[in-house]
Amino acid sequence: MLTPAELVWLIAAVAKGDEAAFERLYAATRAKLFGVVLRILRRQDLAEEVIQETYVKIWNSAGQFNPGLSSPITWMASIARNRAIDIVRKRGELSIEEEPAAMEVAADSPDPLARREMTEELKRLLECVGRLEPDRQKLVLLAYYNGWSREQLAAKFETPVNTVKTWLRRSVMDIRECLGL
Amino acid sequence: MMAYSEDQIALAAEYALGTLDAEERLQAETMMSADKEFAAMVEAWQHKLGVLNQMVGSVEPRPEVWNKIKSAIGLSEAQAALMLPEAPPVTSEAVEPLAVVDTSNVIRLSAQARRWRNVATLTTAIAAALIAMIAVGVYQPDLLPEAVRPKPRTQVAEVKTPSAPTPPTPRSAQYVAVLQKEGGAPAFILTVDAATRNFTVRKVGASAEPGKSFELWLISDKLQRPRSLGVIGNSDFTARAVLASYDNDVINNATYAVTVEQAGGSPDGMPHSAPIFTGKLIETVPPAAPAPSSAR
Repeated sequence: MLTPAELVWLIAAVAKGDEAAFERLYAATRAKLFGVVLRILRRQDLAEEVIQETYVKIWNSAGQFNPGLSSPITWMASIARNRAIDIVRKRGELSIEEEPAAMEVAADSPDPLARREMTEELKRLLECVGRLEPDRQKLVLLAYYNGWSREQLAAKFETPVNTVKTWLRRSVMDIRECLGL
Repeated sequence: MMAYSEDQIALAAEYALGTLDAEERLQAETMMSADKEFAAMVEAWQHKLGVLNQMVGSVEPRPEVWNKIKSAIGLSEAQAALMLPEAPPVTSEAVEPLAVVDTSNVIRLSAQARRWRNVATLTTAIAAALIAMIAVGVYQPDLLPEAVRPKPRTQVAEVKTPSAPTPPTPRSAQYVAVLQKEGGAPAFILTVDAATRNFTVRKVGASAEPGKSFELWLISDKLQRPRSLGVIGNSDFTARAVLASYDNDVINNATYAVTVEQAGGSPDGMPHSAPIFTGKLIETVPPAAPAPSSAR
């Protein structure tokens, strides 16, 4: 098991062009990143393309990783997730129509962790999310985990897109206040 | 810190959440590249929300994906296999396939790691502040044990121990690290004798809570994880020789940090709190002749 400190050093080595470090970084993080993007893209082929692009980007921009701003895995997952969301936004509203079952599967939050396994940061965030109204909690988690657009969320909650827009705005501002961001 | 409108804050947050449409995402990305503070705000949101990924299960991509990545960046298989990294060293765990590994551990530890990493950033500032303190003579020599009190002509510019073993001299180079909280008063003073690599920790302004112990750690980018230098005893001085097993390079460039651990110290060799006090070594007593003087 790699410690987060090891990941930081691997990224630093990758920034210097260390290919072996890059291979180890890939081995240590690929499954988590693939899990994250597969949940959003729901298609193996697209998810693999995103993973490929993500690691090419990590190879090219490892020097830009700022350990003061982010943890290694969050930085890497953000690259992957942003790419995945760009793809679903550009492709439009296909995932629900293509995979009617996806909606139900995705309605649950992913594997809940035992509370003792959560980091303090996760507990803190979940506390803040937990202070939102139940529908909005679900809204935020579906948006994050499944990468759903406002239109998809509106369909799910059977409410106008503008309402979803307002809910999302209020939710992030409430979370911001709760986290003290 | 620039004040952003609620619209801009929401744009940053929703970019991280993922709910913007394609056009808004482009707008946010344009702002990120034009405005570093806005980019930092987006990063902060990505970081805050990123902890949610701890709950996403890991899924192994097919092995072909790695081959495609390698060819995309022009990485040849032979090279990758032959090239031995300088740091960190390969461990058997590091190359295990991760299918069986619960990668949530990676994230679970991340908060702690971030704090540790921040130490490195922090110590630069601390070292600068300390050098300034020494320069203006605020530094109180009587905080130091008699033997290592800085001489009037304090030398802090070069911090290199001789790589060849130093023959015993009446006075070898002495290095001092003041371990403190950011901007706070010194809490521990660590002194290292370059010749013997013995170190002494002197408590000057901290006491452990009942049932807890202070533990000293060496953090180096040459080592995979913080290395314990042992529990700091309750007496004013704790002297040890455990640094002898480390290279001069590591000793000189390491960050020294103190954490709060359970009584008797960390049970598993890993720190369990964020570093409370940190510092880096600075040469205070240049080696006596005939060792080459580092004075300029």
